[in-house]
Amino acid sequence: MSNLAFATPLRSPAEEQHPRHVEIVSSREQRRARPRVVYAVVVVIGLFVLFMAQLLLSIVVSDGAYRIAALQTSQRDLGREEQALSEQLDLLSSPQNLATQAESLGMVLSNTSPVFLRLADGAILGTATAADAGESVITGASGSLVPNSLLAGVPLVTATPEVDPAIAADAAAAAAAAAAAGTDAAGAPTATPTAGSVASNPTTLPSPVTR
Amino acid sequence: MNDARKTKRRTALAVLAIFAVVSLFVVRLVDIQVVSAAELNKDSLSKRSVSQTTYGSRGNIVDTNGNVLADSVDRFDITASPLLVDTFERDSEDGKSTVEVAVVDAINELSVATGATAADITTALTEKPGANFAYVAKSVTLEQLTAVRALDIPWVYDVLHPSRTYPMGSVAGNLVGFIGTDGPQNGLEVTEDSCVGSANGTSTYERGADGIRIPGSTVTTKEAADGGTLKLTIDSDFQWYAQQTLAQRSIELGADWGTIVVVRVSDGHLMAVADYPSVDPNNVDGVSSSDLGSRAFSSPFEPGSTMKSLTIASLLDAGTITPTTQVTVPGRRDLGNGESIKDSWAHGDIRYTATGILTNSSNIGTSYLTDSLSNKETRRDYMTKFGLNSTTAVEFQGESSGLVRPTTEWDAVTNYAVQFGQGMTATSAQMASAYQTLGNGGVHMPLTLVEGCTMPDGTVTDLPSTEGTRVVSEAAADTTVAMMENVVTQGSLKNALTVPGYNVAAKTGTAEVADANGYGSDRIISIAGLVPAEAPEYAIVVTFAKPDTMKTSGAVASTFKKITTQVIKTFKIAPSTVPATTYPLNF
Repeated sequence: MSNLAFATPLRSPAEEQHPRHVEIVSSREQRRARPRVVYAVVVVIGLFVLFMAQLLLSIVVSDGAYRIAALQTSQRDLGREEQALSEQLDLLSSPQNLATQAESLGMVLSNTSPVFLRLADGAILGTATAADAGESVITGASGSLVPNSLLAGVPLVTATPEVDPAIAADAAAAAAAAAAAGTDAAGAPTATPTAGSVASNPTTLPSPVTR
Repeated sequence: MNDARKTKRRTALAVLAIFAVVSLFVVRLVDIQVVSAAELNKDSLSKRSVSQTTYGSRGNIVDTNGNVLADSVDRFDITASPLLVDTFERDSEDGKSTVEVAVVDAINELSVATGATAADITTALTEKPGANFAYVAKSVTLEQLTAVRALDIPWVYDVLHPSRTYPMGSVAGNLVGFIGTDGPQNGLEVTEDSCVGSANGTSTYERGADGIRIPGSTVTTKEAADGGTLKLTIDSDFQWYAQQTLAQRSIELGADWGTIVVVRVSDGHLMAVADYPSVDPNNVDGVSSSDLGSRAFSSPFEPGSTMKSLTIASLLDAGTITPTTQVTVPGRRDLGNGESIKDSWAHGDIRYTATGILTNSSNIGTSYLTDSLSNKETRRDYMTKFGLNSTTAVEFQGESSGLVRPTTEWDAVTNYAVQFGQGMTATSAQMASAYQTLGNGGVHMPLTLVEGCTMPDGTVTDLPSTEGTRVVSEAAADTTVAMMENVVTQGSLKNALTVPGYNVAAKTGTAEVADANGYGSDRIISIAGLVPAEAPEYAIVVTFAKPDTMKTSGAVASTFKKITTQVIKTFKIAPSTVPATTYPLNF
């Protein structure tokens, strides 16, 4: 397109000065200098490896996403469970519950004369007097006067009753009699009394048998 | 040449075409990227992204030992899609076959799991059959949620519903307050909202076709902020004992209301502020709104004779009396204009010392002692320095400042009456704060209910002030306490007030209550005191308002003694090793 093409001689003066025999066949050097198939193959394989690596990486990452999702769910659930349990613990350790439970077990709050035992020398400070059974704080008047609506469903712990074999046998016999009498309310679970187990009462907490 | 021209024309055409196409693309590009970018972004995001609320957790309120008074918990709302309500297939227990579950059965199962009645659930599901959303049950616990999930009903869902619970119920319920559906409603939950309050955040993430979050796509648009932990000075075990004892005695006496305030004298920290009637923040239904707050802070009353201790301390500080100042007290003091001062019992002339006047709580005697310091302004200054006529440093919600009128409004009777606690008002908290001053060698410490607020990042704010102000000299304060010991050792209530092994200082109060028709038959009875008297550690004020069965301060003695004994036990006060100070009552 440019005018320079017309101005430039087609051949350099040097070539005119030293005419040479021109070969059509390329030299070995030229052939060696040309790009070879192997390079193309290397590049293609390299690219393939790269793509594969990226693919694998993204598979691993997304697999990790599923694991993360699963673990986060279980972390959340465990956190909630921990929270629910500590909530219950806080409720059970509330002072009015402790006091009510303690008094139902027969303990009383002695508030006539405070006495201390000094650990340093074992000295007793104050005059020790026996607590009076009538000194209870809760059951004295009209039960707990510091209400807590959350405690409504918390059962009262009662002192572990001596498991009297005769009574246990009676209870078993009564249950057997009731079953025999044909009170087959559909779907009602029938208890099968096993020898040696503590007779459980749905209104009290199951109490362990200490041996 | 012809060819060259053709080439040029063709080239020009091609360039023009390219330009046309490119400019078309540019216009579209600008339209997409700039003009309608926001709208398109929104559309695309809503197709693949999910926005979620991240809940900040409201801070706990704990007592001085870290026991939880108010706790944030997760609750769940069970919702359903009425549109999709239908029978469904559920895997049977062996997992091999499926059972068909009818809607009515599913509703019954839901009722058992959530505690809502089957009728309510049926109504919720059938009210708007075309709706996509209905509440089955609100605020169910994790246990109930697990039961609901186990039912495997396809048209039932759950939503997190952060909630508040008060594990100790009414223990400090009047102080802590409660949270309603519209946020904090009362007490410290309102006034300390800046500490415990939390802020919900929002974040969005993109999810794949199966609902799993695409890694690295979470964008937090607003951080959720947790609230701080509010620590009170209250000891919850002791607070419970005070409330239980107060409620028992209030019911026995038929009192309208009652308070117990216990203050540590060294720093003005409140160990217990018991109110009767009390509030269970878990269930405030049916509690009258006037009982929701703390009467100890909000109900001023004429304190009566418990004020005499403050009068004695003021006069001792002014140097106008000593514990043995001699006064011949007549049965009646005439003030002219038909007005007079009387004692609560009829008597002739009695020769009392100042201690005798305090011990026997003689109004006439107090009026003669008051004459030794005639400057009204000075006497009123003492009262305001004791903390009267201004709210305490607690600044509790709805706190009253009580009232001591300016001296210009004092008539002949009021001039004396204010010195024995009539014609002026104070709250139980103010009286406790004044007795704290007496116990602390005359230095008034700011009354403190909040020990501090620990933010989630560990910074502690709301630290109470520790700066005290001197009201009376140490000698005056100590002497007043010593004189008050005689109320316990020599007064008429000595048998009811004596705690074996301990020196206790106390002053009784039986105040008349004024209504629209002047002073009637109602009384407010109280005892204020300090233990141990030789080196006071705790100030105790027990008050019952308008009792029916017994209208003298003697009715308070048993409760005061129980609380004193419990203070000794709870805060481990060693028995007194010195005998109680004794002053002669008569001369």
